[in-house]
Amino acid sequence: MTTIQKPWHTALLTALAVFGTLVMIFPLYWVLVSSLKGTVELFRTPPTLFPLHLDWTPYITNFVQNQDILHYMGNSLQIALGTMVLSLVLAAPIAYGLARLPVRGKNVFLLAFLIVQMFPSIMLALPLFVMFTRIGLVNSLLAVVLAVTTRTLPFAVLILRPFFLGLPRELEDAAAIDGCGAWGTFYRIILPLTRPGLVTVAAFTFLMGWSDFLFPLTLISDDSKRPLTLGLYKFISEYGSRWNDLMAVAVVAALPIILVFMFAQRYITAGLVAGAVKE
Amino acid sequence: MGPYLFLLPATLFLAAFLLYPVCTMLLYSFEEVNIGTLLTGDIPFVGLDNYHTILTDPVFRSALGVSLEFTVGSLIFQFGIGFLLALLFSRPLPLVGVMRGSIMIAWMLPIVVSGTIFKWMFQSDAGIINYGLQSIGVIHSPIDWLSDPKIALWAVIVANVWIGIPFNMALLLAGLQGISASLYEAATVDGANAFNRFLRITLPLMRSTSLTVLMLGFIYTLNVFDLIFVMTGGGPVNATQVMPMYAYQVAFQQFDLGSGSAVAVLIFLVLLAASALYLFLIRQEEAS
Repeated sequence: MTTIQKPWHTALLTALAVFGTLVMIFPLYWVLVSSLKGTVELFRTPPTLFPLHLDWTPYITNFVQNQDILHYMGNSLQIALGTMVLSLVLAAPIAYGLARLPVRGKNVFLLAFLIVQMFPSIMLALPLFVMFTRIGLVNSLLAVVLAVTTRTLPFAVLILRPFFLGLPRELEDAAAIDGCGAWGTFYRIILPLTRPGLVTVAAFTFLMGWSDFLFPLTLISDDSKRPLTLGLYKFISEYGSRWNDLMAVAVVAALPIILVFMFAQRYITAGLVAGAVKE
Repeated sequence: MGPYLFLLPATLFLAAFLLYPVCTMLLYSFEEVNIGTLLTGDIPFVGLDNYHTILTDPVFRSALGVSLEFTVGSLIFQFGIGFLLALLFSRPLPLVGVMRGSIMIAWMLPIVVSGTIFKWMFQSDAGIINYGLQSIGVIHSPIDWLSDPKIALWAVIVANVWIGIPFNMALLLAGLQGISASLYEAATVDGANAFNRFLRITLPLMRSTSLTVLMLGFIYTLNVFDLIFVMTGGGPVNATQVMPMYAYQVAFQQFDLGSGSAVAVLIFLVLLAASALYLFLIRQEEAS
């Protein structure tokens, strides 16, 4: 909107926007502050908005003395990276095919991807549990990666396709004249040109793998295979009222998300909008 | 044949790990599936028994009601607040990009983390929410947010609204930015004030975006599991037990996979009905 605003008008709207933003980010601030308080200060009334004295013990207890959490983080990282790689490898060719190659039934595929996104995760967790138990895959990180990818893949295809649609048609013609096969063209010419789309999908699928809870909950029972989300849940009952310890674990579980987000924010927001609205 | 090879890997993957499992689940919902029958491999067909068990279980009826209350409550507030924020952020304000960006973080956070944070903030003794409400005089004694059956659902809704606002805001903002500025300029020249411009231009042109956002929100909210699992575990006395949690309990705690499957099928039917309604409304919208 380019209507001219009066200065007091802008000031008022800015104040409102700042207020809204502060309310929205307060929980993030509060988790960080709580993780840095000692037990006595944590339960003090009135609560302190900033720790009177920074207490790093929650971080030392959870990440130096108790090495379990580092193990959980390693598992989360493997699940997140596995989901990301598998989603990209599977989504890119089909998104390209559905965008630019002469195949029949494109609309059937696209509709199927939309419907599949509606499936409740519990509806997949249940039969996957039985299936993975039968083939001996239950209790492995691979099982979780496969399960999470059933959720990320349709989403990844819908986000990637518009990026392929936007490329000029002459690219493939020129590559064909130069004697490039379909896969060569795809790999050497098309993929490098759709890097922003690939980054969006990589960021999204990594985050979805890192954050997933239901699939590890149903497919993993062995403590050594737990990701951090399950670990955090386990601590809620174990730690009781040691909220500063819990908040320290929560901060660390959130950290990669915030880092990836700061790095790829523009891509992620654009991708979210593209995936939801353009189809 | 060549072009179809590009579709092959993803299609095979989804056939094996999505289509096949969903079909077996559909089958399970008509069979008696538990540890015993799975071990012997002799799984008896029981017709509609599982559906009958579920539909006559008072806990399921309560879960259905709680799910709808949770979904409608969440949608109203996250859409309303998201719309207001989108209107604000569509203006050329200073630092607007930074503010928009920081709000999006709430949506990206792992839900288990958000649930843990809200569980802490909603504590009755040392929680910041009770302290804040008491210090501005809204309440006089601490509220047992998560252990009072009459209130727990609202605590969970507040947390879910917080998670949902950024999503609503981002999509509605994209919609607002798609409205041509010349429309507003023409209306201003014709003497329409800000309120009239909103009523006559913004609202009608945002109708189809709003429908889409509400539909996506409905699907997403009806499937919410982690948040409630972490914050209340479905309690106190089933007050926050939504349908996906009920399905989880039946399937993985009572280990009745047949009835659990029946619940999952019922959830999907609700979603299917909602999408049919959405498609009908969006057709009408496009026709007018």
